[in-house]
Amino acid sequence: MGAPPKIRIDLNSQVPAYRQIVDALRVLLVDGSLEPGSDLPSIRRLAMELGIHFNTVGEAYRTLAEEGWLDLRHGRGAKVIARGSPGTASAERLQDFRAQLRNLVAQMRAAGVPRTRIASELRSLMEGLNS
Amino acid sequence: MSNDLPTFLLIAAFMGAVMLLMPHLSPSRYFFAITVTPNFRSTAAGRASLRRYYAAVVCSVIITAVLIVRLGRGWPNLTLVLPLGPTILGGLAFLWERRQVAAQAPPVYAIREAELSTEDDHLPRWIALMLLPFAFPLAAAQWLRARWNEIPQRVPTHWDIHNQVDNWADKSAHTVYGPVLYAGGMMLIMILLTLAMFYGSRRGRQRTAVVKMMVATIYFLALLLSGVALMPLMPNSSALIWVPAVLFPVVLLVWVYKVMSDPEMPAETTPDECWYLGNFYVNAQDPAIFVQKRVGFGYTINMGNRLGWLIMVGFLAAIAALIFVLPQ
Repeated sequence: MGAPPKIRIDLNSQVPAYRQIVDALRVLLVDGSLEPGSDLPSIRRLAMELGIHFNTVGEAYRTLAEEGWLDLRHGRGAKVIARGSPGTASAERLQDFRAQLRNLVAQMRAAGVPRTRIASELRSLMEGLNS
Repeated sequence: MSNDLPTFLLIAAFMGAVMLLMPHLSPSRYFFAITVTPNFRSTAAGRASLRRYYAAVVCSVIITAVLIVRLGRGWPNLTLVLPLGPTILGGLAFLWERRQVAAQAPPVYAIREAELSTEDDHLPRWIALMLLPFAFPLAAAQWLRARWNEIPQRVPTHWDIHNQVDNWADKSAHTVYGPVLYAGGMMLIMILLTLAMFYGSRRGRQRTAVVKMMVATIYFLALLLSGVALMPLMPNSSALIWVPAVLFPVVLLVWVYKVMSDPEMPAETTPDECWYLGNFYVNAQDPAIFVQKRVGFGYTINMGNRLGWLIMVGFLAAIAALIFVLPQ
């Protein structure tokens, strides 16, 4: 059995901690590192390890539950559930994703990451999605 | 008092040496208790901070030594506190450099990582070793009971800086068994503190290392106080107490330095703005009751947590109870 996956948050980031947790967990859920049936740590445990308020972790778990990724069980943490395929995203939603992606790529370019490296990162992400 | 001068000078020099070590008793990501990039120490700003700090500590030792020599004869009580000079002045220099580093160090990421494990937090099995040293005070008590008639009518209860008894008490169950009870009480407090620290802090390698240190300290206390308890039967064997009393802190300091210098030893990420004077952590958002210190080794209480206050008050009350209930 491999080591459990990890998530990271930046305490100095402008992005709220709950949003960072949601994003980090969603990445693990999408790439299959967290499979249906897996248990997540309790809110108390994860809040302790990340050094943030219980409510922040609770909010992150609730957001993912609303997206259909988690089943929250009172006092017993959260369980990953099989998520039905969502309907096709609307044109506006796709436009929003594109804007976010362009923004991220611009940030990487501004931080000095070469174009070839960005392209290879995107390719590797796509391969992960196809596998 | 003039005979004490070399001892006081030696204590002041030792305090100065400890203060000189202070900036190095931190993980590399912290410099004067401020989060920095790993190479900040070797930058011009980092080196200048260290130079200024060393100069201030050396000056504090010289000033203290001059004061001890000048005032030692006329103000004996003052001389007792003067050896603390390097600690107080060095501490002020530390805080000054902390401000300089906070102003000069470039911003860094404060990444905190959590394993998505659902495994419960289990104490290591070897923690049971903490119970073994209770055998020492119990054996000492048994020995005192067996040789009760050999114990003199007056028993020593305190020794001065020259290892001479300066306080006595009449022989009674209270005075003879006092050190043994004190040993048991101190060990119990240490065990409770260790358990609170283990369950009230984040998982990590340093937590295990601190538990090991606590176990070693319990053994040390058990041996030391059991030795003190036996002093009425062995009045000329005080070296058995003084040698470990000096040796243990030195060995501990060397071990701590070794552990802290290990580049693999992870350092806990905590927000800079929640640290006051480099040593006091106040963060009501952080559920941890104990967090890793930024200077020195071990854990400190999160004063933003009510349970932390409760543990601190309980600890101080237990120590006070031991001091005031047991014979002096």
